[in-house]
Amino acid sequence: MAADNRISDEALVSAMAAGEQDALAKLNQRYGRALSAVADRILRDKADAEEVAADVLWQFWREASRFDRSRGSVAAWIMMTARSRAIDRLRARKVREHRGDNSVEPVFTNDPSNEIHSAERRHRVEVALATLNDCERELLRLTYFSDLSQSEITQRTCLPLGTVKSRMRSGLIRLRDALQGSVE
Amino acid sequence: MDHTEITGLLPLKALSRLNGEEARAVDEHLAAGCDECERELASFTEALAAMAIAASGDDGPSDRIWSHLQARLDAARDESQPPRIADHLPWRIEDRSARESSRQRGFAMLGSMAAAVVAIVVTSIFFTSRLRTVTSETSNEIAALNTRIIEVQRNLDATSDRLAALQAKVAHTTDLTLASLDPNARVVRLVALPAAPSAAGTVALSRAQGTAILEVSGLPPTRGDEVYEVWWIGEKQGPLKAGLFEPSSQGATIVSLSPPPEREVVLASAITLEPRGGVEKPSGTMYLKGDFPRP
Repeated sequence: MAADNRISDEALVSAMAAGEQDALAKLNQRYGRALSAVADRILRDKADAEEVAADVLWQFWREASRFDRSRGSVAAWIMMTARSRAIDRLRARKVREHRGDNSVEPVFTNDPSNEIHSAERRHRVEVALATLNDCERELLRLTYFSDLSQSEITQRTCLPLGTVKSRMRSGLIRLRDALQGSVE
Repeated sequence: MDHTEITGLLPLKALSRLNGEEARAVDEHLAAGCDECERELASFTEALAAMAIAASGDDGPSDRIWSHLQARLDAARDESQPPRIADHLPWRIEDRSARESSRQRGFAMLGSMAAAVVAIVVTSIFFTSRLRTVTSETSNEIAALNTRIIEVQRNLDATSDRLAALQAKVAHTTDLTLASLDPNARVVRLVALPAAPSAAGTVALSRAQGTAILEVSGLPPTRGDEVYEVWWIGEKQGPLKAGLFEPSSQGATIVSLSPPPEREVVLASAITLEPRGGVEKPSGTMYLKGDFPRP
């Protein structure tokens, strides 16, 4: 694997805890669109999804000093929080109207090392997902990127509930093992 | 549920797809301090995060998200540093003193011309000053509006969280009601004991539905190393574990309990304070107890 000289997520969090706004901007460059994409898949509303992403990063900015690395990575924490917040919004039926906004937006230049890292990571996950069978892969995506109940998933996939559960389980175990294998 | 069964549920826990009974069992197991399951769950969460990150496209709205964040950073800074209105005052005073000195140094021949120049300067200063004041006021109003918008957004988020909590509570209350409505359900009111005289509780046990629910209020909060444990008192087996809980800081707490073994006749239910993770037989102070009517 190519050497990755970029600043680690944990170093960014330490800098955020010290009040460095640049670190927050870098974390946003690194994960902002992923946070927004997860929320958008659940909410189907881009403006709402961006607010969820901003909320998660803002919460992380305020609580950076309390982040405990031993309980999981920065990426896992913020992605889990974004999914949870998006589902809360959906359940509370708080989808707001998309506000028309024609103002000029600031332009950010993405860090090239960020792009390389993202491409490597995406490739690694695609290879890991390829180890799942089609049914496991689709079930995993359907389950993660929606708020469908298990009975709704069985209706949509025409699979019995027991099969849905066992394939969710086997798919996630296979994905986890493949990702861990690719890191080692 | 034993450790192996819990391990099998962890992928579904990471996907938030456990039903109430399974979720309660997993949460209790994790709360009891099983490091292996904590690590296993974290590994699934990491895998899902990697999948979600990889699924996002190349073109993203990170600049628009940053606009949201920048507005919040600005508002937070404005709150800590109020606008300095006094910055405008010395400028006006200096002009007034300059105008005064020019009058004193005026020559008779140039008096009218100087007066005209002064009038123009004063008028210019007045309008410039006025313009700056209006601009400053407008900037302050915009900053105040931005702060207000952010407050409203925060309030909406807090309201959403409260609504989600209420929905969960309504679901639990519905379970309690359904269990109570079962014609064969056994409902018992728990009586407060001296350790918490203002506490109250109700247990509903439905053998037909295989559910048992506790609603309790008025219990003192636990310390970090303590937990309340609910017990069935069986005719043959004596005290049997029914569930663990920590009381809500607001209002009643509703807990889904493990039903007692089918062949056991339950005489009573009780709540004791025990070490975190629970114990096999009651050892701590008893806070509430209620006897079931004999079947």
